[in-house]
Amino acid sequence: MNQLRFVVLFGATMFLCAFTTIQSIDWKINDGYSIKFKATDAEGVFKTMTGDISFNENDLSSSKFSVSVDVSSINTGNGMKNKHAKSDKWLDAAKYPSISFNSSKISKSANGYQVEGTLEMHGLKKQIVIPFIFSSNTFKGNFSVNRMDFGVGTMEGMSKKVSNEIALEISVPVTKK
Amino acid sequence: MKKIFIHGIVAGVLSSMASLLYFNLYQTTLGTSFDKVINAGSIVGSSIFGCVLMSIGYLLLYKFNKENIKGILNIVITVLSFASIIGVISISLPLEIESPELFTGLAVPMHFFPALAFFAIEPFFRHQKAITKTAE
Repeated sequence: MNQLRFVVLFGATMFLCAFTTIQSIDWKINDGYSIKFKATDAEGVFKTMTGDISFNENDLSSSKFSVSVDVSSINTGNGMKNKHAKSDKWLDAAKYPSISFNSSKISKSANGYQVEGTLEMHGLKKQIVIPFIFSSNTFKGNFSVNRMDFGVGTMEGMSKKVSNEIALEISVPVTKK
Repeated sequence: MKKIFIHGIVAGVLSSMASLLYFNLYQTTLGTSFDKVINAGSIVGSSIFGCVLMSIGYLLLYKFNKENIKGILNIVITVLSFASIIGVISISLPLEIESPELFTGLAVPMHFFPALAFFAIEPFFRHQKAITKTAE
């Protein structure tokens, strides 16, 4: 009788295990996030970001990032530069109010992870790869974008003082939803 | 010489008072805070420093008997006050400060207060000098 009970329980356990899947974990973006950018003659932050983050270290295939940054939240520390950055000569916040990133693939790398996806800025889309780490419930990533790939600014006149490559430093603290 | 420096210090104190009043009024009215960039100490210090520099300019005029070009010196002081606003316009504030575009509205007028105070009280000191001369 005991043998039969064991066989039934074992069978039931195995049956249920077959339907068990590893699910991605949804994360809520906390206050205190920072999106810093730095180039020659221009540096600052974007103060507002929204988005959905699904990330599971054990199941990267179901993980996904979809975030959007409010262009008008740019702060360079100088009112005149802020106005200039939001104008149609640079990011054109009126026409393109957000910068968005949607991931297509997340994979492990030597130092952490990397996410491939589409960055849309100034009305142009480009595939980029962002290396990042995830520790203490915080995503951290450093990468750079070429502003000319997105038609931001020109390389003429005073604009050429700002380097093409814009270094970005992102830190996003999160909590499980 | 002493009177010229007193002129500068009194002007500096008056300029400081006007600047502090404007500083508090501006921040209260617009709900901003630039305390990390400007504080009472820096306002008083720079006001008195600016006015003492003007006193030194006046002192040099008297020392070299060039009182006839006082008007030109006054224009130079005004132009320098005006030129100093370039610093305010081009400064990059710490990134945690909200609304840096409101900073110019706060700091630019304050750059004119020292010259304004110095010129405003100048006749009183000139008058005293004339009395001293008459008495002599």
